Amino acid sequence: MDKITIGIPRALLYYKYKDLWINFFEKLGCNVIVSPCSTKETLENGKKYLNDEACLSIKIYMGHVDYLKDKCDYVLVPRYVSLVKHEKLCTNFSCLYDLVRNKIDVPIINYNIDIDKKEDEFYAFTGMGLALGFKYAKVVKAYKDAKKDEKISSDKRLLKQKSILGSSKNIKILVAGHPYNMYDNLIGKPIIEFLKKNNIEVIYADIYDKKYLKSEVERITKRNYWTFNKELIGSISHHKKRMDGIILLTVFPCGPDSLSNEMIIRNVLDVPIIQLVIDELDSEAGIITRLESFIDILNERRQVHE
Amino acid sequence: MEYFLGVDIGSISTKGVIIDSNLNIIANSYLWTKGNPVDSIKRLLNDLKKQVSDDIKIVGVGTTGSARKLIGAMLKASVVKNEITAHAVGTSTLYPDVRTILEIGGQDSKIILLKDGIVTDYNMNTLCAAGTGSFLSSQAKRLDVLVEDFGKIALTSKNPAKIAARCTVFAESDLVHKAQMGYKKEDIIAGLCYSVCNNYLSNVAKGKKIEEPIIFQGGVSKNIGVQKAFKDIIGKDIIVDKFGHLMGAYGVSILALKSKERREFTFSVTDDDFETKGITCNKCGNNCEIVLVKQNNKLIDAWGNRCENGQVKI
Repeated sequence: MDKITIGIPRALLYYKYKDLWINFFEKLGCNVIVSPCSTKETLENGKKYLNDEACLSIKIYMGHVDYLKDKCDYVLVPRYVSLVKHEKLCTNFSCLYDLVRNKIDVPIINYNIDIDKKEDEFYAFTGMGLALGFKYAKVVKAYKDAKKDEKISSDKRLLKQKSILGSSKNIKILVAGHPYNMYDNLIGKPIIEFLKKNNIEVIYADIYDKKYLKSEVERITKRNYWTFNKELIGSISHHKKRMDGIILLTVFPCGPDSLSNEMIIRNVLDVPIIQLVIDELDSEAGIITRLESFIDILNERRQVHE
Repeated sequence: MEYFLGVDIGSISTKGVIIDSNLNIIANSYLWTKGNPVDSIKRLLNDLKKQVSDDIKIVGVGTTGSARKLIGAMLKASVVKNEITAHAVGTSTLYPDVRTILEIGGQDSKIILLKDGIVTDYNMNTLCAAGTGSFLSSQAKRLDVLVEDFGKIALTSKNPAKIAARCTVFAESDLVHKAQMGYKKEDIIAGLCYSVCNNYLSNVAKGKKIEEPIIFQGGVSKNIGVQKAFKDIIGKDIIVDKFGHLMGAYGVSILALKSKERREFTFSVTDDDFETKGITCNKCGNNCEIVLVKQNNKLIDAWGNRCENGQVKI
């Protein structure tokens, strides 16, 4: 039997689960191809499938699926409803599967995470392995091994960021956004590169020890049922004392962010904070102006403190 | 004595000053950009040239505003700075104890908070231009009054109409509705001034603490109706400087002075032929738009590429 090829779109939850996904399929003996980094072309291709109300991240996602559609046996399109009891994810994550299935003619391998219905990650991954025709024991082993690999690389990232936090004397900015926006080539990368070029130490909000998540979140807000935004709020609360400034990075139009970021701006008053909303506009001038002046402010504040 | 030129080139207007090394403004000019920054900079330089003697030596140029990069390349500026820093530097030089700068321009609005002459926080309007100068001028057109008369008319109102400020489109339908209901024109105009302030306070100031002394700048600060509305809503005194519109240019000229670079500038640049051209790079999927600037047919600067593929050799 030929090897099964699984295509993974380099967008959305890829940036959160890439280690788990790639390792799981490789351990099962599948070929894995990941679509290349986003370009304007990815966005243009993705837009064809959607109406104008979809957010920039979803448009980019569809562009990645479009790239993979005739290059693999299955495209991985998960459906995430909830990760924590009584909490929700953005509806886009629950509709993603249906969106792709209805718009793009491509075989899909999918899994469903809905904690309120007791469908957890283990259940989801074993289901996926069995659907591909592998034996149960092999699937369980692949999942457990992939989980271990996921833990190793997330520990590595945590350690690296911790050492930067401990040693760097440069101005530190916490970039707080969803991983799929922060690390995307079109959305976050130009911003992060601009910061680095200006000798800023970039601290990524998705990298932190989530042990204290609950208490950290509650220092800023008691009520928030968007899991991903809660993680961001927890990270801001965890990091802010050691930061010179915070950049809230979001795309247009993001429902959960528009509520949550507004709340953060009004509640976090002890650290300079700006929000950057990225849309399809070609011109980066507005963003650069904001970043430049933000860096100027942080530099001046540093000088005064010293 | 050494002299420095500062230019603030915005979407609507172009501002310029020449200062001496004691930070005194010895020449200033203010004119419309009219969508052509290259042409407006030439008009600005000709106007400034008339105000100074021929033998002064300009040794540094600073540019700010949305066309700062283009004009910076044209004038070989030593400092190219964003407008927030430029405004803060200019204003805090004239008013060392200023705590809050409210600024409403043609298409953007911002708030800058300072302490001891240092910017501590700022915010700028995001994607939308509601409540800025261009909003007021489009509403003035609809009401058939000159935008310059707006403030005067607003002050005659005893009962300002309530107009939604969240969005220009809604504000416009609100305005039409109020007019059809029979509200007087001055009440609607005064209502618009209040709506600009409310919009600014909720969308730009976002609950930031506005402390005195407060300075109000930008084109809209010339509107006495908006000045009054701010005073009423904030409940504190608002200072409007007669040179308020020049603060960006003044600030960036000071930054040019403070920078170590010295490069002689001559007004002869107005005789040169400048050409800008946008091309699309097709070397990867990003299709970046690259801007080329030519002086007398010679390429002097280029930007806009996201990766090395689009790098233009100069």
